[in-house]
Amino acid sequence: MRITDRLRAIPSWQITLGVALLALGFLTAAQLASEGPRVRYTTQERTPLVDTVNTLQAQQDDLKARILDVRAQIQDIETEGASSEDRVKQLNAQLQAARIAAGLIPLTGSGIVIQLEDSKDPVPPDGGEVDYLVGSHDIRTIVEALWGAGAEAVAVNGERLTPTSAIIDVGASLLVNSAYLTPPYQITALGASDLYEQLSRSAKFVDFVRERGDGYGIRVSLAEPESVDMPAFVGTVTLRYSRPIVSPSPGPFTSPDAGG
Amino acid sequence: MHRFRSQLTIAFVAGILGLLVVVQLRSQAGPSALAQLSSQDLTVLVANVNARNDQLRREASSLERDLQTLVQNRSRGGASVGEVEEDLNRVRAYAGLEPVGGPGVKIAIRGPIDGHGVEELINELRNAGSEAIGVDGIRVVSGVVVVGPAGFAEVDGVALGDSFDLDAIGAPDKLTGSLTRAGGVIAQLAATLPLVTVTVTPVDRLELPATNRSLVPEHGSPRL
Repeated sequence: MRITDRLRAIPSWQITLGVALLALGFLTAAQLASEGPRVRYTTQERTPLVDTVNTLQAQQDDLKARILDVRAQIQDIETEGASSEDRVKQLNAQLQAARIAAGLIPLTGSGIVIQLEDSKDPVPPDGGEVDYLVGSHDIRTIVEALWGAGAEAVAVNGERLTPTSAIIDVGASLLVNSAYLTPPYQITALGASDLYEQLSRSAKFVDFVRERGDGYGIRVSLAEPESVDMPAFVGTVTLRYSRPIVSPSPGPFTSPDAGG
Repeated sequence: MHRFRSQLTIAFVAGILGLLVVVQLRSQAGPSALAQLSSQDLTVLVANVNARNDQLRREASSLERDLQTLVQNRSRGGASVGEVEEDLNRVRAYAGLEPVGGPGVKIAIRGPIDGHGVEELINELRNAGSEAIGVDGIRVVSGVVVVGPAGFAEVDGVALGDSFDLDAIGAPDKLTGSLTRAGGVIAQLAATLPLVTVTVTPVDRLELPATNRSLVPEHGSPRL
């Protein structure tokens, strides 16, 4: 009697407990495994800083949206006025070309996307952890190789590169145009349909794949979509220290066909 | 009693289980790339994002003023030539399509530097707020890169040799400080390229030519 009672007692709670403990072990392992090399700091005093970053980033998104909106309105009015006066019409065409050249207009066209991700290789005891993460140096190398291969416009995670764009490390993440970016990094390049072919011939790119990809396990992948979308640069184009040394203006009486 | 204890144990394990599930889900879903940064990195990040926001705020106000003027002028009959011309010069100067002049730094590079070393200097200049850069008289615009091994660096197919200048317009003290700080880009170059000397001189005025590139992409069209 006692023995049968016991036999029934085992499935009723010990099995449940066993299953629960198994799940507990599994979750603990998953939790530990998810704490990769990028997760190191969890102290309390950082919370206000993290909150500040989040607030500032939300503000940045709002400001960018506002700038894009006002720019569009300005462009509309300028084009609208174009029909009224030939000189203004001509200037507006030049302005549109200048805006495209400066990266202020979003573009679409042929191109490629290269994605860089952190290595999943185990860091050897004598190796540096940082070598197994994608850093600003890696992004700059790919960007330089893309320009060299004939890319006409480049963006990193939605940040369009302009003549004033710096790419720097902040911890194990990046700042591009002072915008905070985290992996995976997608480098979008606009260019001729043979852009990838040109890139794969560049010594810079080949060396990169060998040294960083094969050497450290940095994951490099490529996409050649039918077309790529190139975002506009959202930032200031107002120069504070430089003044244009403008050649004498052709004046209001020049034929509208001149220049362009 | 025995039954109560077992229920208590299960309840306890289930509680921990639930907690772990939540922690696990949150750690995977949260915007926690930030949680990986040290306090020092976060401080750098706050400073950078803050500076960018100030810039964006100025740009937004300036654009809003432009828009207001345009709206007022439209009611009087179209945008004025002066306004559009001013906007055009501003954008062309930024892109590198106009020659520009202003204060900045002259960086004398002597010795067999490689393309990568020059690019590191250029990146640091941009990070320090440089507005326009020229390498040996060639304006650095989108698409211009300095390439080549040590002693054979070239830009746009022009060999730089062992003695050339890198010019940058911006706040001279800020540019100088950023380049020459301890552990900065020049210190790093000195370690990797010991034969190269880099000298930074702040100047009141320097001039940079316009690029001869068109900069209008042939393989992209404006997206609406």
